[in-house]
Amino acid sequence: MSISSPQTGGSRRPSSRPATGAKPASKSATPTKAGGGKGGGRPPVTPVKVSQGRNWGPIALFTVVGLLAVGIIGFGVYQVFKSNETWKDQAGAIPGIVNYNKTDPELVKSGVHKYGHIDYKQSPPVAGPHNPNWQRCQGDVYPAQIANEHAVHAMEHGAVWITYRPDLPQADIDKLASKVKGNDYLFMSPYPGLDKAISLQAWGYQLKVDKASDGRIDDFIRALRQNATQEPGAACSAATPNYITSTGTTPHDLGSPAPSAPAK
Amino acid sequence: MISPFATPRRRAFLLGALVAVLALVIGYLGGLLTPRLSTPGDNSPEAGFARDMSTHHAQAVELAMITWQRSTDGEILQLAYDIATVQENQIGIMQTWLKDWHLLPTGRQPKMAWMPNGTKELLPDGRMPGMATDAEISQLRSASGTPLDILFCQLMLRHHLGGIHMASTIASISHDAEVTDLATTMKNNQQGEVSNLRRKLTELGAQPLGS
Repeated sequence: MSISSPQTGGSRRPSSRPATGAKPASKSATPTKAGGGKGGGRPPVTPVKVSQGRNWGPIALFTVVGLLAVGIIGFGVYQVFKSNETWKDQAGAIPGIVNYNKTDPELVKSGVHKYGHIDYKQSPPVAGPHNPNWQRCQGDVYPAQIANEHAVHAMEHGAVWITYRPDLPQADIDKLASKVKGNDYLFMSPYPGLDKAISLQAWGYQLKVDKASDGRIDDFIRALRQNATQEPGAACSAATPNYITSTGTTPHDLGSPAPSAPAK
Repeated sequence: MISPFATPRRRAFLLGALVAVLALVIGYLGGLLTPRLSTPGDNSPEAGFARDMSTHHAQAVELAMITWQRSTDGEILQLAYDIATVQENQIGIMQTWLKDWHLLPTGRQPKMAWMPNGTKELLPDGRMPGMATDAEISQLRSASGTPLDILFCQLMLRHHLGGIHMASTIASISHDAEVTDLATTMKNNQQGEVSNLRRKLTELGAQPLGS
């Protein structure tokens, strides 16, 4: 329909002979037959009178259909563009986030296991070597400080670690705990000496905020939980025997060949 | 004047070609976009199920792994191994769905919001149906011998009943064949295991836990 309407309208011009094929000729032949029966020859074809001005009907129709099509396609493209935004894009868009993949790529690459105490450049740490045993991160809310060496291993598995200064108001602690409880790949613990009230860590990322009501906390968790990991699909549950559910800042060297043996 | 558009015939041909090309482009774009727009969205029941069931399954893996390390009962060992490996694999399948749908593992809605009854499905302390408490997991971790086997059967039986409730719900409300297929096999498989767990509990001289 859309193809034929402009042809029947704007493009046809009166001419002595119809330039297009047999169709118009045979059409116009019918009334001629009825009108005059004289002679065997074909009577001259009467040109169809068509308005010389633009035929606005089809033009308007085309415009509307065209705009609709552009709108639908545009919406689709927008949706796809939006859904193409990766978790990295979403994390990068959080104001104040520090991405150590950019500032210290070597640190984020390294995930070697070491027993004993490990020094970390960041406080709290965000990546790097860690204890062979990971901190259980099945929505655990630890009431006391935990060992960095286990926490870093949990983050390697894709967990987001929420830390807070012990003087954070109880209401804020409860609000943070409510985000953590019942959700695997999340764990939380107090962190004495923290330079901000709250600090969130995922493997290679960190965000420090002042209040538990800060909307960026949910953005951080949403973008990075299970995504920022060196080992996608690794468990947060307490596997055997490499699990830690206790607190204390000294790493628990479960499985170490001997207390003073060098790290494997 | 001689131009390529001189005759109506040429003009009609050019217009036809233009329309054909446009139709092809629109058809191509439509075909490209439709699958992306028709996959489950961020707040869909399918996405909610994939996220919540991943968390639900992760606890089953933990219960099974704790038991697999420490039980001495051959049937319990086999059952625990089966549950841990099956459910870990299914977590991978559900996480892959989310990736395929261009969604994140973490949603914006509370747990069970995708169920017709919504968050009313949650237990008073916020657990999903069938989930064990931290205290029960600690208890399992410190148990051994027959008490370990009994507690595993009790916790896993209750866990399965909660899982079956979620799986049969999504199987009945979703139209995504991938989702309903997996949910249906989950339901059937766990129902079979529920019978095994009940029988085992009777053999061990114990009762299922109250819900």
